[in-house]
Amino acid sequence: MDRLEEIEKEEREWAKLIEGCERKPEFKTYSGIPVKALYTPVDLKDHDYLEKVGFPGKPPYVRGVYPTMYRGKVWTTRMFSGFGTPEETNERWKLLYKEGQTGFSAAVDSLTQACMSPFDPRVGPEVGTDGVPLYCKPAVAAMVEGLPIDKIGVALVVEDAAATITASMYFNVYMERGFDLKTCMGTTQNDLLSMSIGCLQYRSLDPAHRLKLACDLIEWCTADKNVPKWNPINFTTYNYREGGIDAIQELAFGFANAIEHINHLLERGRKIEEFVGRLAFHLSAHNDFFEEIAKYRAARRIWYKLMKDRYGVTDPRLLIFRFHIQTAGSTLTRQQPMVNIVRIAYQALAAALGGVQSMHTNSYDEALCLPSEEAVLLALRTQQVLKEETNITNVIDPLGGSYYVEWLTDEIEERVWQYLGKIEEAGGLIKTLETGWLYKEMTTAFNKRRRMIESGEEKVIGVNCYVTDEEIPIRVFRTNPNAQEIEKKRIEKLMAERDNRKVEELLDKLRKVCEREENVMPTVMELTREGAINQEICDVYREVWGEWKANIVF
Amino acid sequence: MMEKVIRVLMSKPGADGHWRGAVTVASALRDAGMEVIFGGFQSIPEIVETAIQEDVDVIGISIHSMAHMAYAKELMELLEEKGAKDDFLVLFGGIIPDEDVPKLMELGVAGVYGPGTHTADIVRDIKEKLSEKRAE
Repeated sequence: MDRLEEIEKEEREWAKLIEGCERKPEFKTYSGIPVKALYTPVDLKDHDYLEKVGFPGKPPYVRGVYPTMYRGKVWTTRMFSGFGTPEETNERWKLLYKEGQTGFSAAVDSLTQACMSPFDPRVGPEVGTDGVPLYCKPAVAAMVEGLPIDKIGVALVVEDAAATITASMYFNVYMERGFDLKTCMGTTQNDLLSMSIGCLQYRSLDPAHRLKLACDLIEWCTADKNVPKWNPINFTTYNYREGGIDAIQELAFGFANAIEHINHLLERGRKIEEFVGRLAFHLSAHNDFFEEIAKYRAARRIWYKLMKDRYGVTDPRLLIFRFHIQTAGSTLTRQQPMVNIVRIAYQALAAALGGVQSMHTNSYDEALCLPSEEAVLLALRTQQVLKEETNITNVIDPLGGSYYVEWLTDEIEERVWQYLGKIEEAGGLIKTLETGWLYKEMTTAFNKRRRMIESGEEKVIGVNCYVTDEEIPIRVFRTNPNAQEIEKKRIEKLMAERDNRKVEELLDKLRKVCEREENVMPTVMELTREGAINQEICDVYREVWGEWKANIVF
Repeated sequence: MMEKVIRVLMSKPGADGHWRGAVTVASALRDAGMEVIFGGFQSIPEIVETAIQEDVDVIGISIHSMAHMAYAKELMELLEEKGAKDDFLVLFGGIIPDEDVPKLMELGVAGVYGPGTHTADIVRDIKEKLSEKRAE
């Protein structure tokens, strides 16, 4: 009898000890994967280390995308922040920078996202209430004023239509500050799926044109080499996950989305090597600790296989899955908000153990209001405790080799491939958005999670267990009540100073570019340089391509 | 006599796109036997027009952008103007601080529901408040 058989025999003996003694008949992960009480070498008996796991910075990158990982450079602390006015956001960014933040990330308001102006009564009350208003180039300039943007990357969390416009404003600001675009570092989220299933987009364009715009930005920055260090897209599976889907669906939607963009760019005649190295991901860090760690490890292997096997990529620098995480806002509760601090810390720990490149930790008050200064600083300190005090950065992928984590990594990979197959069978991502298939999957997930929480099957402290009557009141953070007036004035001043005839001419030029389905970026760069505001540019998109309403089935 | 089926309009004013709450509550109300019209993104005038045309009993407003006071004021004023303020039970949900709830109630909003609310509580509230309203 060999050692494995001996272990197997021992395991059977041991299993008798626990029979009928467990708290419930079945244990499952958040994503519904049934798990055993214990994992042993038997569960990994066909597991070939070099093929399945390997070394950091080496295929299949399960142990990490860089050879040194946190022993070389610890993950970037990039807090997602924005509110009120660009000037107030700038002040918050300066504080976060002083306190040790190592990257910037702009949370924009709903009007910026929808490319609408503060003069529109339908949306006027929302100026600056849920993010920073960035409707024109001077607003973008004010947000980054005095910050070392040539040394520290800025993430602009805006999607497709808004991404082409806001990124152009930022690139112009960068050049006006005297820097060369070739050195410009940062990210545009530019993820059409984020504003299709994570959130809905008001006055949206149809999915195919949103894909076109997203690819315009990717192509212009990377393949055309205008902003070669910029990450023009960040597939934000975080936002899809916030909708209530599970870890498997999160990854599968993300990969399906990336595949659509890659295929679209290939159809334009671009080579994959021209852009794939700058595609990035933004994942969720959710509650199921080991499942999340296994998810990050599996994601790296899946991406490697997709690039190598499906697209024939050979350059090792282009096979790596780089990702940012955000701790899961949807797990935070309005009840007993201080408990959120603990949730956030565990989620961040899972991400760090999973080999993340950049991290945003949420604030404990987010189920009540936009984060207060005090709450944001605590969230920042949460990452600093992990980085400086816990020593988890000493050893790379410290859970690699755990029988359970390796088994779960394989299991998640297998399930993601299956679900990805299901999306592709349904016609691929754009098609499933158009038919409503994706909405059906999302609403099914919403309802499933609601029933699980309401039935008590999924425990949420403060909501369905350990409920207290007395709530400790927390100070609600309010944004500037004059934001709408301030932004209106900013635009009025800009319009009085700019060359209106030039802007009109450029808008006509853009109309032709849109009709011919050419890349919009060169013209949008000119437009934002000359002082066009976001709505003027997006109205051309809407005029030529029409507005689109999501086919919501629930 | 058959009890009249409760009709609900569920809408989101403004450009805030956080849709999960609205759809989750809409599904729960439908599961509880109500007829739900999902308005999605609608301006306040569109919401009022739809509510009157569709002859709903309840207007459900979902907001996560902290602009709830402004939209509530606009909605209640427009309903008043149309002489329709008493025709509907107006409910708000989303990220709404506790300290704003009395102010919303003062404007005529009948209920405010934050994250973590059990949907059964919303269903019960709607039934109770509507029967109180009908008894008046």
